[in-house]
Amino acid sequence: MISLLPASEKIIIEAGTPLIKKYGTRGITSLSNWWSEKIQKQGYIVADLKCMDRGSREVWAAAEAGASSATCLGLAPIETINEFIGECEKVGIDSMVDMMNIEFPFEILQKLKKLPTVVVLHRGADENERNREKQLQHDQIHRIKGTYGKVLISVAGGETTRDVVRTFFNDSDIAVIWRSFYEAPENTANLAKDFLKLVK
Amino acid sequence: MQAKDRNKFNPTGLIIVAIIATFSINPILGGVIIILIILFLKKNPKLLSSYFTKHLLPAAESQDDEDLSEDSFNTQKEFNSNDQSAMRAKISSFLFTKTRLEKRKKYLHIALNSTLEEAEEIISQLPASDRILIEVGTPLIKIYGTEAISRIKEMTPPGTYIVADNKCADLAAREVEMMANAGANASTCLGVAPIETINSFIEECQKFNIDSMIDMMNVESALEVLKKLKKLPNVVMLHRGVDESEFSKEKQIPYYQIKQIKGNYNVLVAVAGGDTSREVQQAIFNDADIVVVWKNFYKSSAQTAQLAESFLREIK
Repeated sequence: MISLLPASEKIIIEAGTPLIKKYGTRGITSLSNWWSEKIQKQGYIVADLKCMDRGSREVWAAAEAGASSATCLGLAPIETINEFIGECEKVGIDSMVDMMNIEFPFEILQKLKKLPTVVVLHRGADENERNREKQLQHDQIHRIKGTYGKVLISVAGGETTRDVVRTFFNDSDIAVIWRSFYEAPENTANLAKDFLKLVK
Repeated sequence: MQAKDRNKFNPTGLIIVAIIATFSINPILGGVIIILIILFLKKNPKLLSSYFTKHLLPAAESQDDEDLSEDSFNTQKEFNSNDQSAMRAKISSFLFTKTRLEKRKKYLHIALNSTLEEAEEIISQLPASDRILIEVGTPLIKIYGTEAISRIKEMTPPGTYIVADNKCADLAAREVEMMANAGANASTCLGVAPIETINSFIEECQKFNIDSMIDMMNVESALEVLKKLKKLPNVVMLHRGVDESEFSKEKQIPYYQIKQIKGNYNVLVAVAGGDTSREVQQAIFNDADIVVVWKNFYKSSAQTAQLAESFLREIK
């Protein structure tokens, strides 16, 4: 699938949780190698660890495998998130905190000792399928950015072009998509180009 | 239910009689009929699965009459509406009788979190007991992938109960399928995950005939989560995270919740996050069914075997 993507530095490749759980760190390493080859420089790979406990150990393993950033669940104990962010800084990768199933990402951010590099606002895939009326909290983007100037915001869980447009309209920095790529690998190139145009 | 069973059985008997009859008339005709029947069953796997359930049911009941009778009834219902991959998992579990947890026993649950090499050493030192559950820890799964589960399954004696601590937070269906196919007997899901995810996780576990464990780490009231679920999981795990225990000592495992949960719901309760023998005693005293330990089993040492034995004694 990677071979079908247009080479662009604006694309971030994520090694999804199922992929990591299936292949382990090997999955991250091969993704990183393929993508780096494609764009002829070090690509940006996100390891979607969804870290819940033992922050330091998992970060260390992901960084070793060549990931440029790792994710941690916002639902995890505060101690774990703190440890996670600290460890990410230590090994030199970006920290992402995934706010899936959290009503007020604010409260979590307030409790942290240090800020993560990226906050991911996330509507889960199972939530999406079974419960249509849950909406992404686009209003949160402005609020978080207003209060914490330095964090980047990433929005995950919207898949249609309309969702993506809305995401960027609301000033988010990163849009995460996967379903269209998972379901229709043959359209990958066109899809990616379309989305890139929107992201501009 | 019995009348229904007989109804289902009749066509199979008739088919066998018909095959023998046609064979005695003309062997070629018999061959053709067998091929036709195989094609027919391939197109209608539901018929085949109902045939298998009948054999599954008595087997399961004789293993553990009280606990499983309800369980296996569910199994039968699920069976008729299953996709093929789940059916394969079921048939294989019927062939190699899968270990399930029993209500009256107390279990020691050993989580392996370091590396596969360490895991092998530790497993080789453990005493043989059907009350020991082996958990493939989250770090192992994230580093080695599902390979970790199948490798650990190879290391342990056959019939050992393997828990895959995948800590599912989203896309439950895919994760459960992966873990079940790798040979796990149980899989874990986070209690903090969206309710939709936990529901689909429990359904999926039943489909693949493995136990579902809900990890209540960082959940204030496990009862609230259980209330919202459509179906109950097999095991509820009260869990204090490692980072939590290290950085803020005063957080306690809510032992009083064990009784609350067991009083209201028909589930097993596991307690994780306490590692000293005092904490293990406390957990068992409070009526926990499963005690999870890992810190003492992180690195293998000369005392590994003794430790396991003394823990087993404590949780009798």
